[in-house]
Amino acid sequence: MYPLVDDTTREYQANQTKKAPVDHSLIPPCQAACPLHMEIREYVDLVAQGRIMEALQVIRSGNPFPSICAYVCTHPCEEACRRCQVDNPIAIRALKRFALEFGGDRMIQAEAETTHHEKVAIVGSGPAGLACAYYLRELGYPATIFEAHSELGGMLRVGIPQYRLPREVLETEVQRLTQMGVEIRTETRVVSLDLLFDLGYKAIFITIGAHQSLRMGIEGEDSPGVIDGATFLREVNLGLKPSLGKKVAVVGGGNVAIDAARTALRLGVHKVNILYRRSREEMPADPAEIDQALEEGAEILFLVAPTRIRGENGRLCVTCVRMELGEPDASGRRQPIPIKDSDFDHEFDTLITAIGQAPQTPVDFHVSVGRGSTIQVDTVTLTTNRRGVFAGGDAVTGPATVTEALAAGRLAASRIDDYLQHRYPLVSKETRESVSGDLLPETIEMIRKIGRLEPPILPPRKRKKDFKAVELIYDWEVAINEARRCLRCGMGAEILFQDKCATCLTCLRVCPYHVPYLDASGTIQIPDDQCQACGICVAECPAKAIVLRKLYDRRHITEELDYILKSAAQSTVKPLIIGFCCQYGLFGTGTLAGLWRGPGAGTWIVPVLCVAKVEADHILRAFEMGAEGVFIAGCGEQCARENTALWVRQRVEKVRRALAQIGLEPERLQSFILSATRENLAKEIDSFIEQVAGLYLASVITQEVKS
Amino acid sequence: MIVAEQKTLEEIRRMITPYARVLILGCGTCMTVCDAGGEREVSFLHNALRVAQAKSGNGTHTFSEYTLKRQCDPEFLDVLSDQITDVDTVLSLGCGIGVQAIAERYPDLPVLPGVNTSFMGMAKELGVWDERCAACGDCRLEETAGICPITRCTKGILNGPCAGTKDGKCEANKDMDCAWVLIYKRLERLEQLEKMRRYYPMRNFRAIPRPKRLTSRISVDMGEDNEDNG
Repeated sequence: MYPLVDDTTREYQANQTKKAPVDHSLIPPCQAACPLHMEIREYVDLVAQGRIMEALQVIRSGNPFPSICAYVCTHPCEEACRRCQVDNPIAIRALKRFALEFGGDRMIQAEAETTHHEKVAIVGSGPAGLACAYYLRELGYPATIFEAHSELGGMLRVGIPQYRLPREVLETEVQRLTQMGVEIRTETRVVSLDLLFDLGYKAIFITIGAHQSLRMGIEGEDSPGVIDGATFLREVNLGLKPSLGKKVAVVGGGNVAIDAARTALRLGVHKVNILYRRSREEMPADPAEIDQALEEGAEILFLVAPTRIRGENGRLCVTCVRMELGEPDASGRRQPIPIKDSDFDHEFDTLITAIGQAPQTPVDFHVSVGRGSTIQVDTVTLTTNRRGVFAGGDAVTGPATVTEALAAGRLAASRIDDYLQHRYPLVSKETRESVSGDLLPETIEMIRKIGRLEPPILPPRKRKKDFKAVELIYDWEVAINEARRCLRCGMGAEILFQDKCATCLTCLRVCPYHVPYLDASGTIQIPDDQCQACGICVAECPAKAIVLRKLYDRRHITEELDYILKSAAQSTVKPLIIGFCCQYGLFGTGTLAGLWRGPGAGTWIVPVLCVAKVEADHILRAFEMGAEGVFIAGCGEQCARENTALWVRQRVEKVRRALAQIGLEPERLQSFILSATRENLAKEIDSFIEQVAGLYLASVITQEVKS
Repeated sequence: MIVAEQKTLEEIRRMITPYARVLILGCGTCMTVCDAGGEREVSFLHNALRVAQAKSGNGTHTFSEYTLKRQCDPEFLDVLSDQITDVDTVLSLGCGIGVQAIAERYPDLPVLPGVNTSFMGMAKELGVWDERCAACGDCRLEETAGICPITRCTKGILNGPCAGTKDGKCEANKDMDCAWVLIYKRLERLEQLEKMRRYYPMRNFRAIPRPKRLTSRISVDMGEDNEDNG
């Protein structure tokens, strides 16, 4: 009953008590980790309820090009996910893609109105440039994108292989920009910013990316047959088919190296060796991508670096040296040190270097350039040394992620707006919010462990043949079950009415996760970063002092019941039966979808956060409103929470006793909890409905006999 | 804390029969803690009475509900003044004290008890309470190692155990611990067994008059100060 409290917990509680009062502005770690600060918790929750269109709305409001992110985002949110402490993180990116596909993102049209006359030029059409154009149009500025290549997209087009980002996805987003009225000038290389100012542009955003491959600095690097990764990917992505021979080496361990290797395989190369000078642990490429490359047949030689290249009879003889790992360097990774006399030779037809890229800023731009040829800007305002010239994306940060570039583009748009409107830029809201901390050991222990559900991917044999997208989409039920794993960080219960609280300790005793605690002054606290939002304490509180933080969850079930009564009054089907159902599994996955047809007609469903939150009151209220029968259907073993059935049964029993005293048959109230032994829940509910119909008929006859 | 349990729905329905407008009044202190008459129970009872009325089809009651912070202090009752004029009775879910406090404050209004006030006790676990004190007004817990024989011994004897104790249980109820065995064990643990050997004279129950009144106020003679300030 009273668990022994861990030391960590004690320390936590002591600190919590110090930081009064309760902080309502905690943001979940996923949102904090996202460069775009997307409202991940909200859309994952909406997906879990099967409300896909609404999820799509949330996604679109926080991301200019969600469909691109759905394919290529490196999902820092998943690394930050607190579910990592329990088992595995939520598959956020895959869920986003599910929401976009099932919600019909393709059909969404964009439009914008011009409300300002100041023209803005965007140099470069990578993700940062596209995002900046998107938001500038939303703000009402005329925007022009200048792109040196024949097509828009920057690295999205020329860097990322098609099997990771299908081109039609990019086309759709570019199409939307055109619809919004962004002026697009392809095959236009900007050489001077002065010229743009002369043309009447009032502000310029430089986002030229980092396309220049770094050189390895070894002998024979310029031999024919040696090509750099960026150039190679660009050529392939623009439709060329470079001849690579049979055996290819890729030097490097980042995403570009992996992309180059997998692209080479798709071009029909027999053998691809990736040479990486550290070990797998230090490899910066996305682990899933590395796995997929290995599955497709790429081989990685770890702790190997080339030292010399010689061209012989149209082939390359590459001398390599073996490495060992020394002390960590400035980047925190262990420094590779060559092992003496470990040289060996290897023959390849082609060698692709992918050891990093840097921006190449034209000198005539007259912007100051710093370390690694990146453009120097103020990180808060994105201003360069030139008035009216802003810069962002890889050109400023060096090679980074698509999402970071999108965030830079969005920030640039709002800073350019500030600049053109002569406003002082303000700190963004996100930087002021605090992030939910770690879960406590007792809480982690009580959270049901449910493994992560991955979306299906094409088998290696099939995907090696062409450039089709490797990852497929979730099906409906799997997506909903995956989304339900979300811990809803910071969305739990709070004591809203401290003056009503009688400190009866019910919440402390009923909480399955040991979250509420008594502080030193004898006040009950429900820390917002620990609560798992099951709603048990809300329903059990004898003073009705606890509510759920999220307004949607807080909505009065009685209010919902009133809506149902209004709809039911117009329906001619009798008898009226009301069901309280888990808004996730049972309702979201559509297990009960058949109820309103056939014999189940006349049944109305109230979706609830958790059946454990249905109060005895709500059940009585349903009867008072004229329901002939009431049932509660919970997801039981499917549920992300433990032991909710106990509370449901207790309340059902309490109401049944009251019904008996009132003179109503207790059979009119039934609870159904899904479990392995009760597979056909819908059928059971059907027979309950028949039973109630029988009781209803009997009562009608008795009444007629009486009168 | 005072512990009570709600009366059955049948009994409550019988009590309210003569009254058309009923105010169900909860108490936010002990009755909330013991799940008998807090806001949740008030709301449940309210709903149950309405369902009963809807199903019987011949009721003429109108119900309203309210939960006070505490019914046993007259100041808390003042917020009721407006509502009280519109009701025919108050169904109090306060303890016996609360019911009487309302009766005293509103002399012309019938008050009905919605709970059976049972004892003073403590929570054993969620939803389970045990009696611990009889409010005898003559506390002997110092001599009995903090275990009250007046409440916890069926016979309430001061010099136990009696001959009915067996395997540490009471002869009246085999599931109940013998209070005097508990006292013995605890004294042993505290190394105060000599207290067992003492004889405690019977208390004179007749000497304790009811009803009792207590004050924590200290009376002082203000003398001339009082006149100066007044």
